[in-house]
Amino acid sequence: MMTWEEFRRQAFDAALQNGCDAAESYFVAGDSFSVQILDGDVDKYDVSRTCGFGLRVQVGGKNGYAYTEVADDPAALVRHAMDNAAVTENNDEHPMQGACEYVTVTRPENRALALSEREKIELALDMERRARALDPRVKRMGYDLVASGTSRVEIHNTKGLCAVREEEDSYSFLEPIMEQDGEMRDGGAFRVRSEMLDVDSLVKEAVEETAAQFGAKPVPAGTYDIVLRYDAAADLLSAFSSMFSADMAQKGLSLLAGREGETVAASCVDIIDDPLYSYSPRAFDDEGTPSVTKTVVEKGVLKTLLHNLKTAKKAGVESTSNASRSASSPVSVAPSNFYIPAGERDLKTLLTTMGNGLLITTLEGTHAGVNPVSGDFSLSARGFVVEDGKIGRPVERITVAGSFIPLLSAVQEVGCDLKFGIPGDGSIGSPSLFITGVAVSGQA
Amino acid sequence: MLQESVVRRVLEEALQTGGDFSELFVEDSEHNSVRMLDGAVENATYSRSRGAGVRVFKGTRSVYATTADTSEEALLRTARAAAAALDGAPEGRVSAFQAIRYAIPAATPLTEMENAGRAAFLRRAHQAAKSTSDEITQIIARVRDECQRVLVCNSEGVWAEDVRPRVHFIVQAVAMNGAEAQTGFSSRGFLGGYERLDTLDVEAEARRAAQSAATMLHAPECPAGYMPVVIDSGNGGVIFHEACGHSLEATSVAKGNSEFCGKLGQRIAASCVTALDDGMLPGEWGSLRVDDEGTPSGRRVLIENGILRSYMIDRLGSRMMNLPVTGNARRESYEYAPTSRMTNTFIAPGTDDEEEMIRTMGDGLFAKSLGGGSVNPLTGEFNFAVDEGYLVRDGKIQTPVRGATLVGKGSEILMQIDRVGTKLALDSSGQCGSISGWVPVDVGQPRIRVKGLTVGGKGGAL
Repeated sequence: MMTWEEFRRQAFDAALQNGCDAAESYFVAGDSFSVQILDGDVDKYDVSRTCGFGLRVQVGGKNGYAYTEVADDPAALVRHAMDNAAVTENNDEHPMQGACEYVTVTRPENRALALSEREKIELALDMERRARALDPRVKRMGYDLVASGTSRVEIHNTKGLCAVREEEDSYSFLEPIMEQDGEMRDGGAFRVRSEMLDVDSLVKEAVEETAAQFGAKPVPAGTYDIVLRYDAAADLLSAFSSMFSADMAQKGLSLLAGREGETVAASCVDIIDDPLYSYSPRAFDDEGTPSVTKTVVEKGVLKTLLHNLKTAKKAGVESTSNASRSASSPVSVAPSNFYIPAGERDLKTLLTTMGNGLLITTLEGTHAGVNPVSGDFSLSARGFVVEDGKIGRPVERITVAGSFIPLLSAVQEVGCDLKFGIPGDGSIGSPSLFITGVAVSGQA
Repeated sequence: MLQESVVRRVLEEALQTGGDFSELFVEDSEHNSVRMLDGAVENATYSRSRGAGVRVFKGTRSVYATTADTSEEALLRTARAAAAALDGAPEGRVSAFQAIRYAIPAATPLTEMENAGRAAFLRRAHQAAKSTSDEITQIIARVRDECQRVLVCNSEGVWAEDVRPRVHFIVQAVAMNGAEAQTGFSSRGFLGGYERLDTLDVEAEARRAAQSAATMLHAPECPAGYMPVVIDSGNGGVIFHEACGHSLEATSVAKGNSEFCGKLGQRIAASCVTALDDGMLPGEWGSLRVDDEGTPSGRRVLIENGILRSYMIDRLGSRMMNLPVTGNARRESYEYAPTSRMTNTFIAPGTDDEEEMIRTMGDGLFAKSLGGGSVNPLTGEFNFAVDEGYLVRDGKIQTPVRGATLVGKGSEILMQIDRVGTKLALDSSGQCGSISGWVPVDVGQPRIRVKGLTVGGKGGAL
């Protein structure tokens, strides 16, 4: 066994000696910690240390990939990568980034970073205690979780690229299970970074979300005006974000292909992709391209798709710094901080403007009930009836169906309550959206 | 993979702070994947994963620590990291090991499969799909093989080694005409080597995907409402998997988070429904010889003529529920602690005629092929996409319809089933995701009929 640095050096040497034009490594190492609480005690406690080395070689304009977690045989890894390049029939040019200068990004303030493991466990215990104290209908915790992690990404290549970033993050998640007259309900809330320390606010939101669902039932099928709350809107945007990928477009898998300059949404809708945005900033993408902020949709008009170096070359444009990969997968395209910017008025005002309709707070199964190729979705939803602008009885077991582009075109107003999800693979955010004429089905 | 003396030291180290059970899982896996797009190989990847996880129980508390470094020093460090979560004095002991070695033979060892062979296989799929319809604008085909070598040992004396080769094939066809696009899928997977793919009619699978996409391109939107639904054999079984299977896993049941808690011996389904989880089916995608806790896999009747007979239980669930383990403990890799998971889960054949159940259904939906879905085990609420559906009027299949979803509650749909056909088909398209990661599973059923179910769609009222 050798160090990963030595492994990289030997792999690059072996690649060049065996006829590769270039080689690139994508190395990831990470630590993670999570604790789950149940009934006043630690229920699950997980710590992990992972690392993996991804190699990409270029031979005669073709890319080949290989990945390992064992630093034992660099020459064997190069052989695997070269074999994989040899079978590839795609001849699209895929440039490798050379040496670049990067801006220094500042991670958002995170006072939770200073917590010891013991203090994180205490925090999670406190979440459960306060949830039970807040409402006697709280029976137990479905989830009571505090998690944190660090990761280090190093990208090097034989063209002189050296890009290294370290990130840390932490979040808490609480899902109380509540019972009233034999009816069981669960609902969740999360907090990230410094917000985690405000336990009362987390507990209040989680308990209120859950309790509000008691007595939920379907509404008759029909066409409804809806307000899609910020979190449900962000889930939907996330599920369809691949439509904005130039990689998908060039492969004939996105209806947005070739539609730059056309209207694809209502004029009140902008969409931004900003890798430098303070929520989860990074200085470069997974090919080492320096981060670029861009407006993807401006006043409803599609301005650009998201590119990596390969798709940009094919389209004759610059990379938008949206290359994405894991250490074991090929380079692809993905959004960074991808969001609909906030409008001016709050959720309450949107509901008043709507008058009668539905407030949709949860869309279930966005991994399954959504087809980013056709743009169609049909999703199980939960929320509330809205009458004369006032939130009424809870609603469940309905489906909300439509197509993503027509839905964006039916947005009447964008709220001011922009919020992002738990940081992870891409950070997607949206404010609440007031949308007219949505097909809803429910039990007869 | 490791010496007995090293394993013993690691398991003992993990028990130093009062744990009463310790387990070491070590994995060394290789994967190859080749992906073809529009008839040309788009990319090929190779990956090798190796690492270990140490788990400690104290009563029903569980601790898990993982490492990508399998040297003795790193394993001991990982054992100490796990033990650090507890704070008692040493109590547990490590028993003598009873070694069991399993291995699934691969007639064509994966290491001897060349990329050219993988590409040739994909080309057959591409050509078959392409020739199905002029409206097919894109075809993606992928073949993936893997060989997972695992060792599971615990302080109760389990020492189980297993070698698990798997192959998986998927084809996706896209039909597009200007502003509209529809997709069709087909996929199969097996526990075994490439000889299993040789038995597969890859052209038929590809044509099926392409035909589905082309048919749906011309289909009107599905009407919405509460109606009878006939769900076809094969991947229609995903509805049982999602809406009922997950709620029978100890993960949900042990903590009281399932609508089927405390219902053993009680009626939870119509009497025509018998359902099984069978990890022993030879060569099936979801099969296992031994689970990821070292328990031999088995065949388990979950529901017998409508009566709940068994849950699916892992070691931790067994401690919480005071019921024996069932050989269902699984994990994606060493990065995950195992938990109770399904293997090959299906509704058993019944006695009803496949044609009669459509002929006598009146107006409703025939769901020929289902897409993915999700379920909340606490309430049993589920949601499924219908990839290929047909509107039925007065007992006759009338027209394909797109965009349908099925919405309901697990406990309600089970009671609403009024026909179960005679021809069981399994479907191996899936990877099932849960708290222990993605694991290969088969779903399945004969054609069934549900008396009433909420169908979502944007084609107005039925």
